[in-house]
Amino acid sequence: MTADLDGRDPDGLPADEPRQGGPALAVAAGAVPALIGLAALWPAVGLGLGSLTEPGPGLWPAFVAVLLVAAGAVIVRGALTARGTADTEAFTRGTAAVALGAASLAAYTFLFELVGFEIPTVLLLAGWLRFLGGEKWITTAVVAVLATVAAHLLFITALGVPLPHLIGS
Amino acid sequence: MDLDPVISGFGVVFEPQNLLYCLLGVTLGMLIGVLPGLGPAATIAILLPITYDIEPASAIIMLAGIFYGAQYGGTITSVLLRLPGEASTAVTVIDGHRLARQGKAGPALGIAAISSFIGGTASIVLLTLVAPVVAEFALKFGPPEYTVLALTGIFMVATLGSGTLVKSVAAAAAGLLLATVGLDPLLGTPRFTFGSDQLADGIDFVIVAMGLFGVGEILYNLEHRHRAQGGVLPFGRAVPGRPEWIASRWAILRGSVVGFVLGVLPGGGATMSSLVAYAVEKRSAKDPSRFGKGAIEGVAGPESANNAAATSSFIPLLTLGLPANATMAILYGALLLQGIAPGPALINDHPDVFWGVVNSMYLGNVLLLLLSIPLIGLFVRVLRVRPGILAPLTVLVTMIGVYSLRNNAFDMFLVIGLGLLGYGMKKLGFEPGPFVLAFVLGKLLESSFRRSMRVFDGDVLGFFQRPLSASLFAAFLVIVVAVPALRVVRDRQAARTPDETPVV
Repeated sequence: MTADLDGRDPDGLPADEPRQGGPALAVAAGAVPALIGLAALWPAVGLGLGSLTEPGPGLWPAFVAVLLVAAGAVIVRGALTARGTADTEAFTRGTAAVALGAASLAAYTFLFELVGFEIPTVLLLAGWLRFLGGEKWITTAVVAVLATVAAHLLFITALGVPLPHLIGS
Repeated sequence: MDLDPVISGFGVVFEPQNLLYCLLGVTLGMLIGVLPGLGPAATIAILLPITYDIEPASAIIMLAGIFYGAQYGGTITSVLLRLPGEASTAVTVIDGHRLARQGKAGPALGIAAISSFIGGTASIVLLTLVAPVVAEFALKFGPPEYTVLALTGIFMVATLGSGTLVKSVAAAAAGLLLATVGLDPLLGTPRFTFGSDQLADGIDFVIVAMGLFGVGEILYNLEHRHRAQGGVLPFGRAVPGRPEWIASRWAILRGSVVGFVLGVLPGGGATMSSLVAYAVEKRSAKDPSRFGKGAIEGVAGPESANNAAATSSFIPLLTLGLPANATMAILYGALLLQGIAPGPALINDHPDVFWGVVNSMYLGNVLLLLLSIPLIGLFVRVLRVRPGILAPLTVLVTMIGVYSLRNNAFDMFLVIGLGLLGYGMKKLGFEPGPFVLAFVLGKLLESSFRRSMRVFDGDVLGFFQRPLSASLFAAFLVIVVAVPALRVVRDRQAARTPDETPVV
């Protein structure tokens, strides 16, 4: 990332910019696709490869899986010879926010089928605004409630999406 | 060429609701273009479910407007803040921001808007002439031709994308693998469904796009907030004077041609063409040393090119059914959602959609020119919207949108998983573009490859004995040779460009 032309950050904030990842991450970038490829290869072979004239259902997936394993292997080799390690980003404290964000979405999905759309929506918005977005409590409350009302009007009243909900018909 | 459908296409454009959708689309495009972080691909993906109930022509008119509108909007922050709103306007930073520091922000923005307008409009005219010819020709294509075309598309997206080559290949392979989830296209055997009925139909492309681009992008931005904005440079009126105009007219012309040609190529698109156009301008200038110090041609060339490319990248989608970049892949999904199969038959089967969308771009470009010259101050103010407020709202629209597709909470879990995948890919240096494109083309590639092999009795050489597929294959080989040259030009240029906010 570039700093300002004069070489200083315009707002003087501490760097909240992505940092480059280390060698372990560079290896992982190859190992993960290779492992996914391997994991897909066995069931693909199990589906039956058939022949080129009469390909079985497993031939194409197996071919693609082999390609994935090969590409992963090349990435790992590049990482071990210290080439191509420059394009990963280190996981930071901010990663916890990402995990929290994803978990809250999963909880939201689980809850809104059980208790309807309104309460989980207010909670989700409030959580994101206050804890992930660092907004003030008053902003959080106002935005969360208004946005829930707006979403209710847009999706349930106007677009007729059959979301499970408590208020309105 | 038969002009009747072209003219009745204007009738579609000037229906009141389509005028409104066009205005809505380009305004939204401008807005998200100004905002760094949320790109047009993510925005279109998030809005897909909402377009479900809209007329096909109106829906695509609006979504297309978001795409080319973002090219206009991205320029504003490039020039005023040294912070490109879109990857395709990153190169404009070099001379555009320098001009702004010299107190010439107004003329720079004016030239950028006019270049974008001319580039976009010239490209629509060329599209109108070229697309029907390509579509007519493509009607003769059978499975072998589509095999070669799909292969070419995936190859080019993987090789021209911005990531390293092998990572793009890995991303494409993973996309192809995900596309095999569901029933075997020819035999109906379930594959990788883990015994779940939910996965038997395969994974809907819209969900993949919304997960990777929408949720993935939002999660990624949770980790790295875009830094608070510094001061916006004063810009006055965005109107170029006579000297700027004279200096940039040839640059605009060259940029339009570069953009049109590269936009058609899969993986080329707006970003690539803006970089190449900048290189072309620098090379053809009498005094190349002015570049980087505020040369107006360094704004005019790339800006006309990225708009021309945004427009011409519609050609492969609308005539062959092959998306040329990630955003086109999402529009492909949008067409499917409307029950319209993109391909050579589109122009005859749905002339209202085809010509309505194409002609709406004339109107969209006029609207954007009007929006970006007098109303520029309004759009700059959008930068004050805090990401802390924007993120929860976009994520809510995404989640409910996903649910509304099939009224199914399983899809919501799927989209969260794909969002995490998109986040992880970004962290590990994989581009989502090749993944998504390979996912779209994967089903086509597999079924046409297998059908071809049946036709050819399992003889791979059959591809070379059929004149059409053989000539396409020859073109593919030319591309394989030409791509490294394009990569060199682009990388050389990209090395000198600030790498702020690469947005999909």
